Amino acid sequence: MTPGRSTILAIAALIWSLPLQVLAAPQPLQTNLEYSVKANYLVRFAAFVEWPATSFADSRSPVVICVAGRDPFNGVLERAARAQTAHGRALAVRRPRTAEAAAGCNILYVGRGGGSLVPAGPRPILLVTDGAVSSDRGMIHFVVSDDRVRFHIDLQAASRSRLSISSRLLNLALSVRGG
Amino acid sequence: MPWVARLRSSRFPIVALASLLVLLIAGVAIAVLSERSLRVQTAREAGAQADLLASAVSGALAFDDAQAAQDYVDAVQVNPNVLAAAVYDENNRLVASFARQGETVPPVATPRPRTTVFQDGRLYVVRPVEEAGQTLGTARLRVMETPAAQRFSRYASLLLVLGLAALVVVVLAVAQGALRRANRQLADRAAELVRANNLLQQQMIEREKAEEALRQSQKMEAIGRLTGGIAHDFNNLLMVASSGIELLDRTEDPKRRRTLSAGVKQAVERGAGLTRQLLAFARRSPLRSEVLDLRSHIEGLRFLLERSLREDIEVVLDLPGDLWPVEADRGELELALLNLAVNARDAMPNGGRLTVSGCNLPGEDGAPDRVCLKVADTGAGMPDVVASRVFEPFFTTKEVGRGTGLGLSQVYGFVRSSGGEITVESREGEGTTFTVCLPRTDKTPQEAGPAPLLPPDEAPAKRRGGGRLLLVEDDDAVAAGVGHMLGDLGYRHVRVASAAEALAMLEKDPRFDLVFSDMVMPGEMDGLGLAQEVRRRMPATPVLLTTGFSEAASAATGEAFRLLPKPYGIDSLSEALTATMAERAP
Repeated sequence: MTPGRSTILAIAALIWSLPLQVLAAPQPLQTNLEYSVKANYLVRFAAFVEWPATSFADSRSPVVICVAGRDPFNGVLERAARAQTAHGRALAVRRPRTAEAAAGCNILYVGRGGGSLVPAGPRPILLVTDGAVSSDRGMIHFVVSDDRVRFHIDLQAASRSRLSISSRLLNLALSVRGG
Repeated sequence: MPWVARLRSSRFPIVALASLLVLLIAGVAIAVLSERSLRVQTAREAGAQADLLASAVSGALAFDDAQAAQDYVDAVQVNPNVLAAAVYDENNRLVASFARQGETVPPVATPRPRTTVFQDGRLYVVRPVEEAGQTLGTARLRVMETPAAQRFSRYASLLLVLGLAALVVVVLAVAQGALRRANRQLADRAAELVRANNLLQQQMIEREKAEEALRQSQKMEAIGRLTGGIAHDFNNLLMVASSGIELLDRTEDPKRRRTLSAGVKQAVERGAGLTRQLLAFARRSPLRSEVLDLRSHIEGLRFLLERSLREDIEVVLDLPGDLWPVEADRGELELALLNLAVNARDAMPNGGRLTVSGCNLPGEDGAPDRVCLKVADTGAGMPDVVASRVFEPFFTTKEVGRGTGLGLSQVYGFVRSSGGEITVESREGEGTTFTVCLPRTDKTPQEAGPAPLLPPDEAPAKRRGGGRLLLVEDDDAVAAGVGHMLGDLGYRHVRVASAAEALAMLEKDPRFDLVFSDMVMPGEMDGLGLAQEVRRRMPATPVLLTTGFSEAASAATGEAFRLLPKPYGIDSLSEALTATMAERAP
């Protein structure tokens, strides 16, 4: 691969993305709001999903919410998680840098560039993907629909990973795969 | 307390009132208990519904799905009792709601914990929405308490039973009240009957008294009728006596003087006999049976009968000498005959003949022997209708004021009470015959006449006595006459005017051979009392009593004192004095 070619591509991308950024620039608040909602949802998911007992070291181990890749939440996630509990456990937020580290998560949000950190194989980790980041779908996949943050659920994948998702959550999903 | 008395007197029985009260209390208690349990149940149901809603909307709240929350809230509308339902998020902002007509749902809610509150007839239920420990908001319900109609239908059966019970109680009470009223009326009527009975008895007693009085007045009426005739007779006798006495003073011829004095004496004796008859007739005494010889008795009544009739009526007595004796009351028999005679007189306004005849009627077939008297007149007679009623009390054909209607009923009563019978035969224009039959008696009649008269031709001067007498007499004229007689008979005497004076005299000078006292005198003590006192103090002094009253006379003989009835002649006086002295000084 030649550097000139990659440079051209980068310039081209910049050119193409320029109008998008110009367009997006007047709405930074809306983006912030979107991620603020998503951060809240991540915290709420902890209450609607049950993990197998082996997922936690002991009864006082927190539910660990991880953000893989670039963190779009800008501290909102920590704030949302701070005062909350789920199943009698505290919530903890981490940002693993390796797949091994990510293996200790209970909820894993895959941000931009975080796909490589997803541990291989079926593990009891609620994998949350974001339509704004990639089209690869985890067990829960955020999308924006009618100006609202909604999600799709892949129940099959969750079952495979021995996670059970509350029917009340399933009711709210735009679509549920499997089950 | 007055209300207790009023309750007691009311027709509604206390037991029934108490039953109604108990029923009412029981009904209210059941209603209150039921109401309370209903509230508890309502609260439980509403709580369950709110719980359900809270758990259903947790997802919708968690992920801001207002539409889904609204769906759940709308589902609650199915329950008609839910007035309003709302779901608030964790910041108490309204997410979804519905409200019925007239209900409002505030957009921001006051933070509340889990509550269940009754207020203003509504039930407010607040339930937190939680998921796995995360608080997501609240679900709120506003529930109407069970509506009145529904509640009423719950109590309808209870009310029905209570109403039936009350109805039964009221019916029983009314029935008992009616029974009690009937009882009271019955008691009142019984009391009235008792009163009426008492009144009736009182009236009967009064009537008996009135009848007695009427009988008496009837007797007096007969006497009144007699009075005219008696006065006439007395005048004749007085005429004879006064003229005789005047002629006695004018002549010195002993033979003529004797004739004159005999005439005067006879007149006086006839007067004495007349008064005796009157006394016997007027005597008031109950039926006192004695054995009577009808022939001599009725012969003795001839004088009376003739006086009660008019001069144009002839009296014929046809009484055989062998008539059996009967037992009857002398006075009543005389009155009966007199009544029959008066009746006959009134039946013969133009004169006629009254026949009194007697005959013995031997008994047949075991019936007793009887003696019958027939009283027949030659008057107008009477129709059968009248004849059948003549013995009824107060029945009379005479005009008002002329007759009591008791005359023949007295006859009837006398005959029946004497054990006899009376019949009447009458033909119009041919006269009437009354037949009185009295039973025969085996007893022999007593000799009547307490004062046997001496033969008039015996000379009074032959009898002489001697002694000292105490004469007790209140009437000066009588005392003077008797004094002359005593002096004539050879007795000395001292005269006092009362029993008290006599006792004082005896105290002072007890040497009297005899006390000769009148019976009826003024003062505290009468002649009988004096005689008893004298007998007690001086048993050796004999007492001779005298009186003109038949009742006093019977009292004296009852006490075994010798009695000289007034009026008496010098001979009977001499005889009585001699007999009394002989009795007491053997």
